[in-house]
Amino acid sequence: MTYQFKLPDIGEGVAEGEILKWMANVGDQIKEDQPLVEIMTDKVNVQLPAPRTGKVLQILAKEGEVAKVGQTIMIIDDGSGDAQPPAATDIAPQTAAPPQPQQSAPSQSVLATPATRRLARELGVDISLVKGSGAQGRITDDDVKRFSSGPSTGPSTVAIQGPRPAAHGPGPREELVPLRGVRKTISERMLKSLQTTAQVTHVDEADMTELVLLREAFKGSAEKRGVHLTFIPFIIKALVPALKEFPYVNSSLDEQAGNIVLKKYYNIGIATDTEQGLVVPVVRDVDRKDIFDLAGEIEILADKARKGQLTLDEVRGGTFTITNVGAIGGLFATPIVNVPEVAILGLHKIAKRPVVRDGKVEVRDTTYFSLSFDHRVVDGAYAARFTSRVIETVQDTKKLLSEVL
Amino acid sequence: MIEADVAIIGGGPGGYVCGIRAAQLGLKTVVIEADRLGGECVNYGCIPSKSLITVSKLVDKVKEAEKYGLKTSGVSVDFVQLQKWKGEVISRLVGGIELLLKGYHATILKGEAEVVSKDRVIVTTDRGREEVTCKNLVFATGTRTSSLPGLEFDGDLVIGSKEGLDLKSAPTRLMVVGGGAIGLEFASMFQKLGSAITIVEIMEQLLPGSDLDLVRVVHRKLEAHGAKIYLKSKVLRIDKKGSEATVEVETPEGKISVEVDKILVSVGRKPRTEKLNLPALGVMTDPRGYITTDSRMQTNVPGVYAIGDVRGPPLLEHKASREGMVAAEVIAGMPSAADWKVIPDAVFCDPEVASVGLTEAKAVEAGYKVKRSRFQFAALGRALAAGEPEGFVKVISNESDGLVLGVQIVGPEASDLISEVALAIEMGATVDDIALTIHPHPTFPEAIMEAAESAAGRPIHQLKT
Repeated sequence: MTYQFKLPDIGEGVAEGEILKWMANVGDQIKEDQPLVEIMTDKVNVQLPAPRTGKVLQILAKEGEVAKVGQTIMIIDDGSGDAQPPAATDIAPQTAAPPQPQQSAPSQSVLATPATRRLARELGVDISLVKGSGAQGRITDDDVKRFSSGPSTGPSTVAIQGPRPAAHGPGPREELVPLRGVRKTISERMLKSLQTTAQVTHVDEADMTELVLLREAFKGSAEKRGVHLTFIPFIIKALVPALKEFPYVNSSLDEQAGNIVLKKYYNIGIATDTEQGLVVPVVRDVDRKDIFDLAGEIEILADKARKGQLTLDEVRGGTFTITNVGAIGGLFATPIVNVPEVAILGLHKIAKRPVVRDGKVEVRDTTYFSLSFDHRVVDGAYAARFTSRVIETVQDTKKLLSEVL
Repeated sequence: MIEADVAIIGGGPGGYVCGIRAAQLGLKTVVIEADRLGGECVNYGCIPSKSLITVSKLVDKVKEAEKYGLKTSGVSVDFVQLQKWKGEVISRLVGGIELLLKGYHATILKGEAEVVSKDRVIVTTDRGREEVTCKNLVFATGTRTSSLPGLEFDGDLVIGSKEGLDLKSAPTRLMVVGGGAIGLEFASMFQKLGSAITIVEIMEQLLPGSDLDLVRVVHRKLEAHGAKIYLKSKVLRIDKKGSEATVEVETPEGKISVEVDKILVSVGRKPRTEKLNLPALGVMTDPRGYITTDSRMQTNVPGVYAIGDVRGPPLLEHKASREGMVAAEVIAGMPSAADWKVIPDAVFCDPEVASVGLTEAKAVEAGYKVKRSRFQFAALGRALAAGEPEGFVKVISNESDGLVLGVQIVGPEASDLISEVALAIEMGATVDDIALTIHPHPTFPEAIMEAAESAAGRPIHQLKT
């Protein structure tokens, strides 16, 4: 009997997902619960396990395709009925595929020589996706090579999109990288953010001298607990009273219903740089956690983010986001709001700078906080007051101490 | 203790080829063989049977020598010498395999392997127990002859193919139970060596699954030379009386009794997995007991591979050895896989039957609009000059574009002829490609060219249909 593997409802609000990677090929035996497919939703990559034990008969949604929830993406022979036991002949691709009407050769019978098929395997190309340029659609070595280095649409696209490499000396002057996965999501979401909100960035300066000392003081006990203590947990704790006082910063705008949704929970997204691109894992209920809990949780989430192991639950439900570019340098940036949130706080490099205090120039550890916010929901004065409140708490160690533990 | 990158259990066509390729790729390789290197094929199957079949054909030729103006004083077979020669052929091949493995620095362990875990195998050799630890384990243990209830092998009167190849004389009256490839080869061979043949087959045709047009040619020839063939029939009872037996056979026309001197049972084979500890390893098998793998020969347990017969049908030497190469390459980190389009097969009955790709029926079933063309060997100079005018080549192609889908051959040298077509299908050739390729004259492969010409609509040596 065959089992139709449909893209399951991965979670609230997720209607579709892009197939990033199949971890089994047609003909492979799969075991229930083994990781089977990586799906990229608009929020995160998720790994879906095999729903059944059996043999993969057909992959209906190819890598790079977007599938809707409920759409059949794979057909599995779960061996429950009179299914044929696997034999070499069914595993090997056969010429026996039923032909498609109007086509000269059946779709599954790849017209390519054994050596070309091997080349495709070596280049990691799914030869069934390659369009052949030879007689009757024969796939040549060149077709495979071109497919491997270009977008999946085949040779014609290469010709249109860029000059032929040969015309420009030894190497190609341009390289085509398909927009896929995390990159594609980022590109869509950033554009959406800028196109659908009215963003303003407010920048203020913060004196971090005392916080630097405070962090030093807590470092030892953090290490004893096995966590590395950065500034972020302190900032998060300084955010909580400010978010409570300025609830519109911790909200979202439901345009359809015509409501501003004020959130009485504090889930802080931490923008994290990974090889694949930016991902934003969410630390939940930060108001109920101490800095050590936060530090530990952030460490785990960042590690999972880098390994691409975040679950959907770990990236959704954020109410406010922090992005920290301090480690890289620069003065300050104007971050883009992580919609549907209303504001994002940019943290920057802490450096020793001259500061005028009580009429005297002193060397202090300072940094810039930049708050980008959606002016539709929050006005400039409100945002500035919010930022001031955060900075006040950061600068006032006594006040911060009452928050952090 | 031996530490290896790859331990291969079974030194047959799958295992030894896997061993050679693995060693070539720089892997520390151990090939474990409980009996003789070369396995079933070299020792008890393909090679010995082809040796005997070659001689049986010579005998047959001599018998009709007069037709060609050849004067002989009769022909008789010295079975002792025949078996000795057959043994020499085998020994030479086995020796060659051993030389190759050693030459590539693979270790050969002779003894029964006991799989303790996926990285530990104990081998009982004649010098004691040897422990092998391995990073990868390849199962290449093949299949063994299955018997039928009531027709159990007794090593004397009721025998299998292995014993059939070691006979000291041609049985006067031989019953072959099972009209598949092995059964038919024995039937054709012993018929030529002088035995009276009876074939009992439970299905409605010989070579079940093969194109009936081809089978008919073999069927007729066997019958023409006196064989009794009972289809849709089965053996009910054997009464053994000394060196002979009375066999009761149920046929569609009723029960009959046949007096025989030997019964050769060839009703299929079953996987040899008893000692592989599969349940403990968690390696999956299919309902028939064959080990299931993906197209890269990997079982569901990482680091454990299966190749050849034990991985499932078709049970063919050339499939096993190719799978052995794939497994070795995959272990070495290469992107190899079983991506062949077709596996040709050949049956050395008389005339030979060989086929590759889709039969007409299968092509129609797969939804192709099929073009079928044929060429009779009776119209081929070489076949007439060889005194072998029986049979034909049948080319199955896709009507719209001429793509070659399959070819079936019954006739002289069919087993050799089929390779050309296998290449054509793998290369994606059309009937035009074959027809436009000049084939030397006078040769048997011209029949393939002629059939392809016919499929392309321009036959020369036959009338247009």
